[in-house]
Amino acid sequence: MLNDMRDRVVVQADGQLKTGRDVIVAALLGAEEFGFATTALVVEGCIMMRVCHLDTCPVGVATQNPVLRSRFSGKPEFVVTFMQFLAQEVREYLAELGFRSLDEAIGRSELLDVNGAIEHWKASGLDLSPILEGPAFAADAPRRHLRDQNHELDAHFDVGLIERSQDVIAHGGHVQIDLPIRNTERAVGTMLGNRVTLAHGEHGLPTGTIEVNLTGSAGQSFGAFLPAGITLRLEGDSNDYVGKGLSGGQIVVRPPKDATFDASQNVIAGNVIGYGATQGSMFLRGVVGERFLVRNSGATAVVEGVGDHALEYMTGGLAVILGATGRNLGAGMSGGAAYIYRLDRNLVNREALASGELELLELGSGDVEILRDLLEQHVAETGSTLAAGLLDDFEAESLNFVRVLPRDYAAVLQTRKDAAAEGLDPDGDVVWTRILEVTGG
Amino acid sequence: MADPKGFLKNTERELPARRPVPVRIMDWKEVYEPGDSAVLRRQAGRCMDCGIPFCHKGCPLGNLIPEWNDLMWRGEGRAAIERLHATNNFPEFTGRLCPAPCESSCVLGINQPAVTIKQIEVATIDDAFANGWVEAEPPARLTGKTVAVVGSGPAGLAAAQQLTRAGHTVAVFERDDRIGGLLRYGIPDFKMEKRHLESRLRQMQDEGTRFRAGVEIGVDITWSELRARYDAVVIATGATAARDIPIPGRDLDGVHFAMEYLVESNKAIAGDQVPHQIHAEGKHVIVIGGGDTGADCIGTAHRHGALSVTNLAIGKQPPAARPDHQPWPTMPTLFEVSSAHEEGGDRTYLASTVEFLGNEAGEVRALRLAETEYLPDGRRVPKSGTEREIPADLILIAMGFTGPERSALEDQLGTVFTGRGNVERGDDYQSTAPGVFVAGDAGRGQSLIVWAIAEGRAAAAAVDEYLMGRTTLPSPVRPTDVAIGLQPA
Repeated sequence: MLNDMRDRVVVQADGQLKTGRDVIVAALLGAEEFGFATTALVVEGCIMMRVCHLDTCPVGVATQNPVLRSRFSGKPEFVVTFMQFLAQEVREYLAELGFRSLDEAIGRSELLDVNGAIEHWKASGLDLSPILEGPAFAADAPRRHLRDQNHELDAHFDVGLIERSQDVIAHGGHVQIDLPIRNTERAVGTMLGNRVTLAHGEHGLPTGTIEVNLTGSAGQSFGAFLPAGITLRLEGDSNDYVGKGLSGGQIVVRPPKDATFDASQNVIAGNVIGYGATQGSMFLRGVVGERFLVRNSGATAVVEGVGDHALEYMTGGLAVILGATGRNLGAGMSGGAAYIYRLDRNLVNREALASGELELLELGSGDVEILRDLLEQHVAETGSTLAAGLLDDFEAESLNFVRVLPRDYAAVLQTRKDAAAEGLDPDGDVVWTRILEVTGG
Repeated sequence: MADPKGFLKNTERELPARRPVPVRIMDWKEVYEPGDSAVLRRQAGRCMDCGIPFCHKGCPLGNLIPEWNDLMWRGEGRAAIERLHATNNFPEFTGRLCPAPCESSCVLGINQPAVTIKQIEVATIDDAFANGWVEAEPPARLTGKTVAVVGSGPAGLAAAQQLTRAGHTVAVFERDDRIGGLLRYGIPDFKMEKRHLESRLRQMQDEGTRFRAGVEIGVDITWSELRARYDAVVIATGATAARDIPIPGRDLDGVHFAMEYLVESNKAIAGDQVPHQIHAEGKHVIVIGGGDTGADCIGTAHRHGALSVTNLAIGKQPPAARPDHQPWPTMPTLFEVSSAHEEGGDRTYLASTVEFLGNEAGEVRALRLAETEYLPDGRRVPKSGTEREIPADLILIAMGFTGPERSALEDQLGTVFTGRGNVERGDDYQSTAPGVFVAGDAGRGQSLIVWAIAEGRAAAAAVDEYLMGRTTLPSPVRPTDVAIGLQPA
């Protein structure tokens, strides 16, 4: 309000909103959007068991267990009805307050009477005036969102990429685009990917259809949500979130060809690389920051070193780490696998190791073949001297790799494989029961 | 916590078997066979240790049920009884007598049979008594204050134990010749043998609580004398005024209130000589009222050797499963087959009693009943043209209780009664007479044993605060609290 910016933002209130009265209080405090989470879940049958993480939800809300899921009694109509009741109550309060619409109530904090709230002994001594009182504003000063932000999407880096790829997206073929890039360019490749997905669906285009070669420093979220068919090659370095939500595309980041430093000891990209990636591949010649591949569920990535908390909450996919790792590797990792060169066991998440949830194994023959193939691709794409050196003496060096594998994930894969061999439906009840047995539920 | 998947591995309730009917009606001992500890452990493992344990709220005592379920599952009985005693003075009573609103509110009960909480409770305390873990907990120092507790049912005993442990000198007055109130003379031995009561009274005596049986306040001593002699008084006299059925023939010989029958029976079993005891042997017995007291009469009549036992209930037969209008976690009214029902007799629903018929000697010989008709305004009346007679030599009226007996309370203390007939009291359990507190059915009207104990505990906290200016005793319920239920629209 002071900086005359209130009309440019939307204020959303969330947290313990349950009734029409809560909505009105939030609106009077200045909110115009309202979030409901727990309440909506309870309406659907949630009884707040707080075992969402244990797969034992007795009312079938937060579980994969088919027996428990069959007990889910919620219907979408319940939420609809709840919201209608809520809206009704909001209208009743508005009528009581003399407002014609919710818009009129937004930011009218002078109408709040706090005495009842702070009379309770637990709240005694509480002074709410600092959040309720402030400078006076003109009666006609905007108190809610009235002006839309111009995101300048028509000037985005991808506009040029889309223009030059249009033909290929429509008719197939191959296009190569070479451009410089600066770190003010964010989410490069995302809008281009959107066009590919719109035209071709989730499976995208054949790999390498659109090749974009960039030189310079990329801004945040380089190649976010990139679908299959697009390859982004960056010579230089990148900011955080490279390959966020990667959906089948390919991303290569390497230092400039004339760089004199040792790439394997220098940072090539920032934190949270490959967050929530589902498919695709990344080859990163250099070290990246923290939370590498957090929540990855299917992408493959090769990197030469990582910071703390790598592979956190990973549920699928494959990571190849050729250098040092930070501490707390594999916290909450429940799926996927990683090949790590000269892994320091002390840096792996302690609880997961102690409880046996994560297993550190030698590479099997199949693993060795996959590793060799990925190293060869890494050398071809990035010119990595580190990977080339490992390949030179691969037989000996492959023994220095450790395979990180979640125990239950391995058991589930094996059970499904055995079931498929027996001709059973891997998603059927019988197999599910077996899975529950091998994973202890 | 207990096994997180226990409720998926063991989906059914398992309770100890009842002894065979022909065997058990030959004696007055409890009907259940001893439980199996492996089964019990399995059942305790079904507790889900809920994030929001509704059993805490279902039970007015606020029993920490998931915690002692877990301890019993782990086989740590001593820790379990400590946890259980933390909120419940008398689990050996509740574990046998309570209708278990905790199980009605058990989260598992939403879509599976509920955890056998009551069985785990009773096993916990029985183990504890057997192992000598139930020891006297006398106060470290005395406060010098004196409290009289009038009435020795569960509310009075709970208040007395709490107050004694807080350091007050407590005397419990009971007008009957033995301590225990309904626990002593209301509950037949086949539901709870009196030895459980004796064990607990022994503990209380060792803690310093004094018992004065055979003293009726208002008669032997006036209420005002009592008040003058003690620093505080707790009225825990129960809701003993029975609901009557004012129809022709009520004065005939052989028509009695259930409580007259049960008290005499209990006295006889305890070894007393009861001249002219109301006895069911060789008689056609009719029990009016379909509740727990009615069931106690039925079981007692079977053991007396009744010729036939017929239970009449004026309302509809309740459903066997929870109906929609009584959703979880409320306590539904269900058609229950208690041990007494299992032992024989007929249960007739929609039965309105019209008249008791007698012979020339003034003894009851039959009962005339009609089908109940529900009027549009909800009233229940006998449907004309459906009258019939059934033979009856003994009729027991078990139609509930209307409230406390007014006796001399009003005159001698100036206490006020509410419109419902209960002793009026404030948020601190204090009646309109200063220093006189009201706990249990006397203030609430007839209710469950868990409410009695909860009120006794809470009233003790109020008395302690009144006497000392502050208290650390727990106060599980307020006088105005009610069981979880649907709010009337």
